[in-house]
Parts: sequence; structure tokens; C-alpha cells
Amino acid sequence: MSGSIALTIDGREISVPRGTTIFDAARMHGIPIPTLCHQQHQTPVGVCRVCVVDVGARVYAAACIRECEPGMKVKTDTPPVIQARNTLVELLMADHPSPCARQQQSGDCELESLAKSAGIAEPRYARRLSPRGRDDSSLSIAVDHEACILCDRCIRGCDEVKKNDVIGRTGRGYTAGVGFDLNVPMGSSTCVSCGECMVSCPTGALTNKRIVGTELGDGDPPEPEWILQLPVFKGVSGTFLELNKGALVKRHFAPGDVICREGEFGSTAYYILEGSVEVFIATPIGHVKQEDAQAGWFSRIRSRLADRQEHTRDEEAARRWIPIDASTDLPYDKPVAELGAGELFGEMTCMSFHPRSATVRAKTPVVVLEMLRNVLDVMQKNKTFRAELDRKYRQRALETHLRSVPVFASMPADFVAYLRDRVELIRYSPGEAIVRQGDPADAFYLVRLGFVKVTERRPGGDIVLTYLGRGSYFGEMGLLGGGLRTATCTALDHVDVVRIAGEDFNLMLSRFPAIRASLEEVARERSEMNRQRVRATEQVPIGEFLTQGLMEAQSLLLLDLEKCTRCDQCVRACADAHDGVTRLVREGLRFDKYLVATSCRQCRDPLCMVGCPVGAIRRRNSLEIIIEDWCIGCGLCTRNCPYGNLNLHPFDVEVPDPAKPSRMIATTRKKATGCDLCMEHAEPSCVYACPHDAAHRVEPLTFFGTMLAAKDQGRTGNTAATSK
Amino acid sequence: MHVRASTSPIFDELRAIQRTHGYLPEPELRLLADRVNLPLHRLQSVASFYPHFFLKPPARAEVRVCGDMACHRHGGNALREHLAARFQGQDVNVQHVSCLGRCDVAPALAVNDHIFERVTANDAVSLVDAALAGASREQLAARRVPPARSPIQCDPYAPDARYGVLRSYVQSKDWVGLIAALKASGLRGLGGAGFPTGMKWELVRNQPGPDKFIVCNADESEPGTIKDRHILTNAPHLVVEGMILGGLVAGARRGIVYIRHEYPDQEHIVQEEIDRCYHEGILGSRVMGSDLAFDLEIFVSPGLYICGEESALLEAMEGKRAEPRNKPPFPGQQGLWQKPTVINNVETFFFVPVILARGLEWLKGVGRGGSAGVKFVGVSGDVQSPGVFEVPMGTPYRELIEQLAGGVAAGRTFKAFAPSGPAGGYLPASMADVPLDWNAMTQAGATVGSGAIVVCDDRACMLDMALNSVRFFRNESCGKCVPCRVGSHKLTDMLAEWTRGRQAAADIALYDDLSHAMRQTSICGLGQVVPVPIASVLKHFRDEVDAHARGVCPAGVCRVSA
Repeated sequence: MSGSIALTIDGREISVPRGTTIFDAARMHGIPIPTLCHQQHQTPVGVCRVCVVDVGARVYAAACIRECEPGMKVKTDTPPVIQARNTLVELLMADHPSPCARQQQSGDCELESLAKSAGIAEPRYARRLSPRGRDDSSLSIAVDHEACILCDRCIRGCDEVKKNDVIGRTGRGYTAGVGFDLNVPMGSSTCVSCGECMVSCPTGALTNKRIVGTELGDGDPPEPEWILQLPVFKGVSGTFLELNKGALVKRHFAPGDVICREGEFGSTAYYILEGSVEVFIATPIGHVKQEDAQAGWFSRIRSRLADRQEHTRDEEAARRWIPIDASTDLPYDKPVAELGAGELFGEMTCMSFHPRSATVRAKTPVVVLEMLRNVLDVMQKNKTFRAELDRKYRQRALETHLRSVPVFASMPADFVAYLRDRVELIRYSPGEAIVRQGDPADAFYLVRLGFVKVTERRPGGDIVLTYLGRGSYFGEMGLLGGGLRTATCTALDHVDVVRIAGEDFNLMLSRFPAIRASLEEVARERSEMNRQRVRATEQVPIGEFLTQGLMEAQSLLLLDLEKCTRCDQCVRACADAHDGVTRLVREGLRFDKYLVATSCRQCRDPLCMVGCPVGAIRRRNSLEIIIEDWCIGCGLCTRNCPYGNLNLHPFDVEVPDPAKPSRMIATTRKKATGCDLCMEHAEPSCVYACPHDAAHRVEPLTFFGTMLAAKDQGRTGNTAATSK
Repeated sequence: MHVRASTSPIFDELRAIQRTHGYLPEPELRLLADRVNLPLHRLQSVASFYPHFFLKPPARAEVRVCGDMACHRHGGNALREHLAARFQGQDVNVQHVSCLGRCDVAPALAVNDHIFERVTANDAVSLVDAALAGASREQLAARRVPPARSPIQCDPYAPDARYGVLRSYVQSKDWVGLIAALKASGLRGLGGAGFPTGMKWELVRNQPGPDKFIVCNADESEPGTIKDRHILTNAPHLVVEGMILGGLVAGARRGIVYIRHEYPDQEHIVQEEIDRCYHEGILGSRVMGSDLAFDLEIFVSPGLYICGEESALLEAMEGKRAEPRNKPPFPGQQGLWQKPTVINNVETFFFVPVILARGLEWLKGVGRGGSAGVKFVGVSGDVQSPGVFEVPMGTPYRELIEQLAGGVAAGRTFKAFAPSGPAGGYLPASMADVPLDWNAMTQAGATVGSGAIVVCDDRACMLDMALNSVRFFRNESCGKCVPCRVGSHKLTDMLAEWTRGRQAAADIALYDDLSHAMRQTSICGLGQVVPVPIASVLKHFRDEVDAHARGVCPAGVCRVSA
């Protein structure tokens, strides 16, 4: 069997080892044969057929896969062979979005290069009419199915070279394409973002998604070879890292150096290579409290910061943990934690551009990798890293995370230990549904990272019931109730959840009746709230009311324009009640004879709650928006509020000097505030202050209900009259 | 009962999920992937490839209407359009389906996977209504016509004396003699390619190693091809005997009947025969009491014409997409699970015991005009008595069409015929005097192929028929290689334009380029024959093609815009 084989290629007599393909034999002897689907390091598949040669048989043979045979007479460049080859290129070009992304990026689309050398300018065949689509879901790789020629190079790169087994062919015939897992978007597949498919692709079907213009300038950009040594980057394509140079830097910090500050905006995450850091909240923990001031005319009321030792709000009594953007929570009473080598922080900031949730300071000499989101994506999808992160989470954070939910605070340690290996840690991409209304309820979810939008399907469209952030949970209603999901929960951004299977959840309920009771209470409250909201939308289908967003409101400050003299007493009263910062602006939309003043409407879709990095803004059961004690004053909610009704309220406080923690310094810290309805008092200050009885705080549906109904009836009456 | 051991269980798993849920829900596929330890993309690759799997919940009535060749001649495409319009806005999904193998009882359609024959518009509406009203599988199945049985003339056995050839060879073990007898008979593959059977069996016999397979290709799916259905219905014992003989000759201990999804009746008939053989000790660890072992099982195809391509068929049995392999190596060297494998057509296996029982003299004597042997042919299309006929080789095509199949309807004229489905192209009626003979047909520039004769009378537009045939190949292209995947699509589009009277001056040259590339560079026979129908029409009916370019469809079939 061994030995060599003699054959001729293009008239040249050559000899090659047995088992050599025609393609390799030709290459070894300097005879180039073009190809699209073949790469030296991959198993040949012979699907593009561009490498066909005439071996004197009935049909041509694909040189990449056909082995040389003794005495074979191979012709690689006869006019009919070249003509057949060019037809194949022309066929592919007819469906190719020229210039494709690769051609635009680097000018090296292999198909377009072949077409150019074959002199195919404008393909004569009709173009493809049915779109094949693009997939923008991965953070690091752009997928353009339009440019795919089904050469299977990515498939072999993924499944054979890297053994990641994510990519395969899907569909059949002309509609066939490449698909990830069960043909889901790449970003929601099990893709580890190693980049092998992208470096294997001959066209612009899979290209590198470079984050344009945001290179991390300073710091020390490590070489791909060095990066690849790190276990968390195992299996990533070196070429891919080379392309993303500048999106990852190595940084050194001395003890005491601040790595990032709470409230700052950013776009990077940090991975600790060496040393340990302290994570803490530097803003004083406390909420704004109004007090009657005895002295002075103007300041009837003054605001100050009060923590729960001196002023407890009932829901907070059981609160022991503050959620932050790291794999740990901070204890409420001493909000400091330590992270060490192998840990990651700043994911939310990096993936979803939320403000930093805490300040991080080097405790020992520290080396970190700071990265942009395409690199973070690569790392997070790395199996080694993922496994390690999950292990750490189960070991350390799951317990505090569970206990951060007041309902579970009392759960015994042995049950937490039982859950430790049984829970699933799942990641969702923006827009992905986690549970769907009407589906069987089979699990309970804790939000670990990101925000979940809860919507209910109603005739005429979905309505947003709430947003859930870190530390929240969902899925209990379906499990406690009829076994079907009562709402749809969708990932609003990059969301990590802890999934507790239905059987474990039920076991927990049966073992701990107290937890069951609290959960049932919460479920009952939630369902009552949902019912109210839904009823509200059903009752008043009035266009104008809706377009003004008044529908969204639970409570409005109305100024009766027929009575109002524009004296501004209300505004002054509000400012007086809140340390000179008014939470009321006497401007706004008009509805009927009322001016809807700009003050918190206690919206039904509380956009202000989306993105709070520490989960400090929420609503009480009374629907009043409440800012938790650990607000870090980043101001995101004030920007998110579409009605401009949340403000940052500055306070002079003494805090430890970040540069020298033992020393206290005076500084200004901010806390978000909104209209609190002057809850401390019998009536809101603005309403109290109006000398003309023009200001009213009302629940819009009740207030406008009669008016709208009357209008509606009038309209019906008119119609009836005309039709006579 | 024996267990399936030779083929992948993946399709059985997918079918089980689909039976429970009506389709393949994603969570179930994820669970299956875990259970069978396959990556998700592997499940997706097959579930999205084969037409019988639904990745989304199906409509209440899933209607599949055949519109290929014979069914096209009998108004299948018009019927489909009628149903689509009739049930628009209802929970009905009406789609074209490739040949259902009912060409003799056209037009055929399937409602929720039950096939109905000779369907009128009223029948079809009533069937869909029944499905919409929630008719069960059994209720729908009850409306089907069971296959008619008719005796096979050349069956050498009395009903109580079957498997005589096997019995004598099991005793003599003269396998070399058997091969010699097959070679002497000139028996060749009757699936269409015509490879000498004796040579194929000898080749596999000479391959080293204990693991070999015998596969019966009962996946005939080419329009017009219905002869294997007839043989399986009426003489399953001869097919089974042929397979056992093949297994013993080649040294294979396992055989698989690869049967098409659309033949559930035949699957049942063959399974009964297999069960009987196990019961009587003809199959199993001691074939007829000897020290020889042979097991036989059925593999139901997950669907598609391409599965009839022998290497695609192997891929399907391995639980993959039925994409043809690059050859060499051939299945005789590396077949199922890379083991040497004999793959023969139903009719080929059938004729092995027939020839060995009746002898060479019979074979020579039974033919006509110097041809030897008997052949099964299906005659369908515009004939009055379509069906499958067992005829002597050498019978002129005209006799098959005009006498056996009753000729075209009164008042019509016999215009053209396809001797072997779409793959053999169309010949004018003037060539119908050529005898059914491999050499004679080759000389005439055509082929006996699979004996799938489809007849066109003067109402047929040959350009329309060419488009119909090319479109069939386009629909059935697996998509593996560029020339077939993209080429068949572009060619179909081009011909569709021609039928509308839009033939650009440069189109013929473009067609020549495309045709050359497809014939020469496609991996398998499917891609290579895609241009054949239009090539034959350009050769024999060029005037008719050219008339379209002038804005006239002489048969008045095409919607030509002048």
C-alpha cells in the first residue's frame, strides 16, 4: 500500500505519496488550483466544486478530495474546465452582496477575488430574490447570511478544529444556510465566541465586530500569544484576538488606588489576574427624610439623610444585602466586600452601559485585565471561565443572593446547600423571552444580572407590568397558581438568572410554610396590582388620554386652569418642603381645563427603574416610587424618567477620604428624589399651599372617569342622531 | 422480534416527539440532544432538512399536492391553486409536494400525511374539510384506497414453495457459482444506472472485514417511477430472498430495506414477509437451519428524492442529512458506517431469485427482438389505462404506451414521452418505435433508466414540461454543492422566464454554460441531470421553445406575454 504514485498533471509527470489528493499534488508541484471551500487544515468536503479538474472520467473531479491514482492524467486548465469553474463563481456572485463586509473591511473576500481574476464583472444570472438575513446578535461576530456560500469552512472550524459543535447546515437546497444550535441567533446560541468560524470564512458572512473608536488607549495591550495562555481565553482564535487588539489591556494598581468609582459611566469590565480589591459603596447609606424644622418661616420642612437605625421604612427592615455589579452582594450594614484573582466585576457597565454600582479600590498590588464588551463576550462564553464563574457563584454568592430576597432570608443553610448544585445558571440576550404567558410554569427565577421586563398579553397589545432587576424574582405566580405562566418575562438587556426547577421550588414550599406564606402574599399583591393596571387600560380607551401618557399615571398633580392665577405658590411650597429644590414644575401637558403639572406620575411603566445599577429605585405596594437607602446618586433614573420628574438632591456629608480611608472629608453626595407626595404630612405641600383651591392630587381614572364616560356617551348620541 | 441495530435511531426519536406534540418543540429537541449525546446543530441539520418534520406547530390540515409530471398532466398544480384559494384564511397549509409515487392514479395529494389517489377538486375539499373538522388519523386513513394486488407473471414459485433458490444455495454454498450465474445473465442495476449486479456483489465479497451490509433501495421517488411499489406489493418474498442471497454472497450479516416514507402499505407488506421469514427460520442466526446468519430490517426514509442516491441514502441511515458523498470511495468499498455495502434496487433483488430459479434459457427466451429478460415499467401521464406492466425486454415503447396503457384519449394525438421520468428527458412520439432495450435506447440518445414512462398528448407544452421537470430537481436539490444548489435554481428561473415569453438573446449561450457546469461539476447524479429535460426539449421540440420567444405557446398552456 505504501510507496508513491506516478501521474501527470497538465502534462507534467509527477510522483506523489499514495493518498495524496490531486489538489495537494498540484500544489506541491507549483500548479495552483483555485478553491473556495478547501483549507489545508480542514478535512476536505468538495462542496464548492471550484477546484474541479478533468481526470478523463465522465465528469470532472474535485481536486481537493480526490486522491491521485496511478497513471491518472489530470488537466487543471483546459478551456472547458476553466469555463465550468467560472460558471460556478458567476453563480455564487449572482447571489453575493458585493462588496461584502469582508471586502469592505479588508479587501480579501475570496469569492470576489476569484470573480475579479476570472473577469466576472456583472453576473448574467438572475439575482436572489428571497432575503437570507443578517444576525447581529453576537457581540463579537457579525453574521451576514447573504454573503454565505455554504463552503462549510465555519462548520469545520467550529465542530472539527475547535470541537465546539455549535454550527451546522440548516434547511435544504437553495434555502439552506448555516445555523447555530437549533438555528437560533448566534448571540443566544452556545457559541463561545472563539472566532474560529470568523477566521475560517472566505467571504463577509462572518466578520469581526470591532468596536469602532473605543480602543482602550492607555495601559498595556498584551500580545495574543500571552492572552491565549490564560485559561479563560483557552480555545480562542489568535487571529481573532489580533483583530481585537486594543479592546483588552492589562493594568497595574498599587494598594489604595481606585480602579473605578460608583456612579461613573463606563463601558469596560475588569478581570482580576493578581491581588485583591475592596468593593464598597462610598455614598452614605440613608434616605431623604423630611422633618418639621422648628425655626424659621421659610423652612417649614427640611430634608436630611436618615438611615434605618433612626427611621425604618417597613419594607426595608429585613433587607440585609445590597445588589451590585459583581459576583457578590454587599452587606447592608457594612457595604464592603473583597474580590480576588479570577473574579470579574463591571459586567453590567460593560454589557449594558449601566453606571458603576460601587467603588473598587486595590487592597494589595493588583493586576487586572480591562476589556470592552466584545472581549468580555469572548471571555464570558469561554467554557472554562463560565464553569469557574458558575462554581464560584454557587459556592459563595448563591446564598447571599437568595438571602438578599427578603422572602428567603430565613431559609436554613442545609436547604441552600441542597439547591447549590441543583439550580441552573442561565444567560439571556436582550429581547429573549425567559418565560411566556400561557406556557406551563416549570421553574422559579432569581435575577442575577440585568433587567427583566414583565408584560401581559391583552387584546390590543401587551402591557408592561413591571421591570425586575438584580435581587428580584419571578415565576412564583405560575407555580403557586394554576400551573400556567401569567405573564411574559423578557430580557431587557443581558440577563443572568438563577433557575430553580419547579420540583425544588415545591419542595421548598412544603418544607418551609413561612416562605410559602410570604410568597403567596407577594403573589396575591402582584396579581392585585396587575389586575388594577389591566382594568385601567380596559376602562379608558380614549386616544387623547393615552397619547398624553396620562394613562400611565397612578396619580397626577392637576392645576385647574380656570382657578389657577399662576401665583407659583405651589412651586415655592414644594421647594420649601424639600430643601429649596422643587420637585414640581408648573408646566406640562393640558387635558381638558387641567394642566398636568410636572411631578411624579407614579407611572405604570416605571422606566426610571430600568438600569439602576444597585437596584435602589422601586415602588412600594402603594405604587409610590421609593429610593432605597443605598442610592449611589449616579443619576440614571433622573435621565430615564420621560417626564423629568426625578431630581438629584445634593447633601453635604462627611465620608472617608478615598485616598486615605482613615481620614474623613466633607463632600457633596447626591441622592435621587422624586415627588414623595409629602407622605409625612396629611396633604402634599403644593396642594396645601394653593390659595385658590386650584391644585389637586388625583388618581386620574377616578377623576376623569366620569368626564370621559360623559364625552363618550355624547359621541354615541351624536352618531345616533346623524344616522336618523 | 429483532431490534434495529444497523441504522441511526435519530429519526425514530424525532418521529416519537412529533407524534406526541404534532411538531418538534425546541425544549424537546434540547432534551433529545442531551439524551442521545449529539450537538444541537446535528438535530437541527436533519430536522430542517427532511420535509416530514415540523419545526413549528402544523396547520390543522396540512395539504400536500403533487404537481410533478403525471400529476401535472392530470391537473395537480391547478388543484393545488384551487385548494389554496378555497381555504385561504383557514387553518390549512396547502403546498406543493414532490412525487408521491402515485403516478398511475394521478393526481395525488396528502392530507395530514395520508395519501389519496385520483383526487377530484370535490374529493380534495371534502378531505380538507374532514381534517379541519378534526378527523382522527384512523378516520382519514379509512378513506384511503388499499393497494390492489395482482400476481407477478414471472414469479417462479407456487405460494407454498417459496425461497427454493435460497434453500439450494444454503446447502451448496456455491457463492462463486452464484456470482458467475448472475454475470452470465447480464443482470444489471434496475434503479436506473445499470451497473452489472454480479460484479457489484463480487466486489463487496472481496472486501476484507466481517462487517458488511446489504441495502435494498426501495426509495423510488422519481416522477413516473412506480414499479418498485408494484413489486413490493405483489412479490415481497422475491425481494427478501434476493437480499438474503446478496448478503450470503457478499458476506454481510445484516440487510436493510430502505423504503420511502410514502409507501406505508408496502412497508407493512414487507414487514409481514420479514416477520414470516424470522418465524420460519429463513432469517436470523441460522438461515434455514444452516450455520449462516442474516438479519433484515426496514428503515423508513425520512423523505426526499435525493435519498434514492445511494450515498445520500447511506447518510440518511446514519442519521444525517441525505447529502451525497464524494466518490470514490464507492459504497462497495466504504458504505454504511464506512463498511462495504451492496446497494441494489428492489427490482434488481427481485430478479436474482427469478433468474436463478428459471435459468438463463428462460431469460433469453422471454425477451423480444434479441433482448433478454423481463422488465417492469410504469406508464403514466396522458394514457387511458396507466399502470405498472411486466413486459419482455425489447417491446417497443409504442406498444407499451398505445396498447398496454391504452394510448392517449380519443381525439388526442400522442405527442411525446419521457422514457425514464424527468432524468431521461423527453422524446417525440416519432421515436416510440425504439424497443425497450438498453443498447437501443443508448443509440437513440436516451436511456431505459428506471422504466418510468410518462406520456404527453398534444395538449402538453413541452417547454412547460421541461420547466416542470427541472423544477422537480430544483425542489429536490439537497444544496450540498454549488452547481446543483444555485444552478438548478437559476435554470428554473430562466425557464420560467422563457415560458412567459421572456427569452433573452444571450440566454441559450448562458444555458449552455450552466448546463456544462452542472453536468460536469455536480457531486451526484441529481445535479448532473438537471439540464437533461430542457436539453431534450431543445433538441426535439426547438420550434416550440422558439415560439414562446415570439410570444406564442403553441399548446396554449403558458401565460406568455407577447
